[in-house]
Amino acid sequence: MEAPQYVAARVQRALAEDERTHELGIRVDVRGEQLFLRGQVTGAERRALIADVAGEAAPGLTVHNEITVMDVRGPGEEERL
Amino acid sequence: MRELRIAAVGDVHLDESLRGSYRARLEGVEEHADVLLLAGDLTRHGTLEEARVVAEEFRDLPIPVVAVLGNHDHHSDLPAEIAALLSGAGITVLHDDSTVLDIDGVRLGVVGGKGFGGGYAGKCASDFGEPEIKAFVGHTKRIAERWRVALKELQADRRVVLSHYSPVKDTLHGEPLEIYPFLGSYLLAEAVDAEGADLIVHGHAHAGTEKGVTPGGVRVRNVALPVLGRAYGVYCL
Repeated sequence: MEAPQYVAARVQRALAEDERTHELGIRVDVRGEQLFLRGQVTGAERRALIADVAGEAAPGLTVHNEITVMDVRGPGEEERL
Repeated sequence: MRELRIAAVGDVHLDESLRGSYRARLEGVEEHADVLLLAGDLTRHGTLEEARVVAEEFRDLPIPVVAVLGNHDHHSDLPAEIAALLSGAGITVLHDDSTVLDIDGVRLGVVGGKGFGGGYAGKCASDFGEPEIKAFVGHTKRIAERWRVALKELQADRRVVLSHYSPVKDTLHGEPLEIYPFLGSYLLAEAVDAEGADLIVHGHAHAGTEKGVTPGGVRVRNVALPVLGRAYGVYCL
């Protein structure tokens, strides 16, 4: 059986290098047959795409997509320096 | 002399699917700020199609827009073409040089560029050994030197440094320690501290934190969109 660290590293590399994602900021954890994705993205479409690429890079594992879609608000309070 | 309001955001990572999304958030930006700084990673893959989306989202705003590129904007090996496209849309793109904006008679000087990695004092790569390591560290050293010279020559009332990579560790809290050398370099902060500035803004570290300071006391703000969680930060000088 392939060590889970290598599987997680392969998925993380796939997310960074696959031209559909080029995503560097997603945390990938493998526990047994389960693969967990965590982080923040700007849209639901992107969230789904990341899970697709991760699933392809780790066939046989169950992908748990725990990525959240960021809700970008207005400028908020200014800071005086 | 009046106070200047600096709006800043980085890592907007625009592509065709996000067309129109940022423009809507910039409605009324002139009521909040005098200038908008974009701290790199404006695109996802660094393609010209994505750069056109960036140009459309940020063109013809009622306030000046100054940008630097990030590592994503370099991915397709078209940084010069992307910069030219953004310049054509009226956005000033800095590449280790400076610009001075006159805002109601107050001169705001902005020095900046992409920056680069290497790590932080005592725990960093050195200009030693294989040519690949020397090239990595040498890239940062040359950038830092250009920033120092640009700051030294800058004639302005307020001085802001605009970077993609982080000059300090403070704003990386939340990122894995192992990747710090790829998030920035202390050489950038050292150059700014040598000549002085009022503020440094950067992006790149999506899991970091907003506020930090250089060893020399210059305030640093990580304006990566996932860190801010808002359309842009506003800093008054």
